[in-house]
Amino acid sequence: MRLSALLALASKVTLPPNYRYGMSRPGSLSDKRKNPPGTRRRRVAVEPISDEDWHLFCGDRVEVLEGKDAGKQGKVVQVIRQRNWVVLEGLNTHYRYIGKTKDYRGTMIPSEAPLLHHQVKLVDPVDRKPTEVEWRFTEAGERVRVSTRSGRIIPKPEFPRADGIVPETWTDGPKDTSVEDALERTYVPRLKTLEEEVMEAMGIQETRRHKKVYWY
Amino acid sequence: MGLLSGAARGLVRGADRMSRWTSKRGPRTFCKGRGAKGTGVHGRDGKFVQVREMVPELVVPELAGFRLKPYVNYRAPAGADAPLTAEQLFRDVAAPAIERDFRDGTFDPERLDKYGFEPTQEGKLFQLYPKNFPR
Repeated sequence: MRLSALLALASKVTLPPNYRYGMSRPGSLSDKRKNPPGTRRRRVAVEPISDEDWHLFCGDRVEVLEGKDAGKQGKVVQVIRQRNWVVLEGLNTHYRYIGKTKDYRGTMIPSEAPLLHHQVKLVDPVDRKPTEVEWRFTEAGERVRVSTRSGRIIPKPEFPRADGIVPETWTDGPKDTSVEDALERTYVPRLKTLEEEVMEAMGIQETRRHKKVYWY
Repeated sequence: MGLLSGAARGLVRGADRMSRWTSKRGPRTFCKGRGAKGTGVHGRDGKFVQVREMVPELVVPELAGFRLKPYVNYRAPAGADAPLTAEQLFRDVAAPAIERDFRDGTFDPERLDKYGFEPTQEGKLFQLYPKNFPR
């Protein structure tokens, strides 16, 4: 088996049928501590929203409508689709201690609690007020989010990749194909199978033919 | 999940029925292969005769100056090529010649092998139907 396939198998997490998604990533140590195998919890009702109708993405500027920080605007940092959750940076926080040891009480840090999708609203860039958003098509045929109040398109925001790579500033390593080499088209369609083309290119002559075989 | 872990888990006794039955288990008289293809035939005197055609030979071209590498730059956009279909291949290769001959008036439906038509697959090393190559 290929090494990448083997590692993917090892890291693939099988979840029980009524697994309740929380703030921890499924398969992480904190999730395993909270939900050891054999845990069965009551199912939570989650409004089913299709991928086409979902309008909140990481990096969006949204305003909170309910809760402790109602009226404040913040950036979406994490989206948990399985619970229709949105985590904003620094908003809707409670405080907990981290790095606690036996003798040390730990450091207090603010930790964000998730908000449901209907508890936040996207902010219209024109007047910076919360607005309802619809999915519409542009003249070019592109599907975009449009604010219903002002008609302005809200573009999908840039969010840094989880692995920290910035494609614009990537320099090629010794094992990287450059952009020009990758986009070059060298295929010439011919009426020959790959094997015949390879034989022609390598100059392999084969005059023997297979014996005729019958099967029923 | 071997015998010991199963027994430790649920106090179930008996042989391990869930793992694969390979040549590593069983008595020392139990010999079984792991799925390697054979490369010859056993002769009548007990000797093994290797057949050259059954031994796989890797045909690798000269890779000096080859510019494609294992990984691709992140800036390269996702490709927008459609998979090659038989119709597309016909349009690219045979259709121009047929059109040109038709306009000139020299198109002969009896002589289609000029455009690459093969009336029969007999005599070819790599037959398309029935396919006699593994790829």
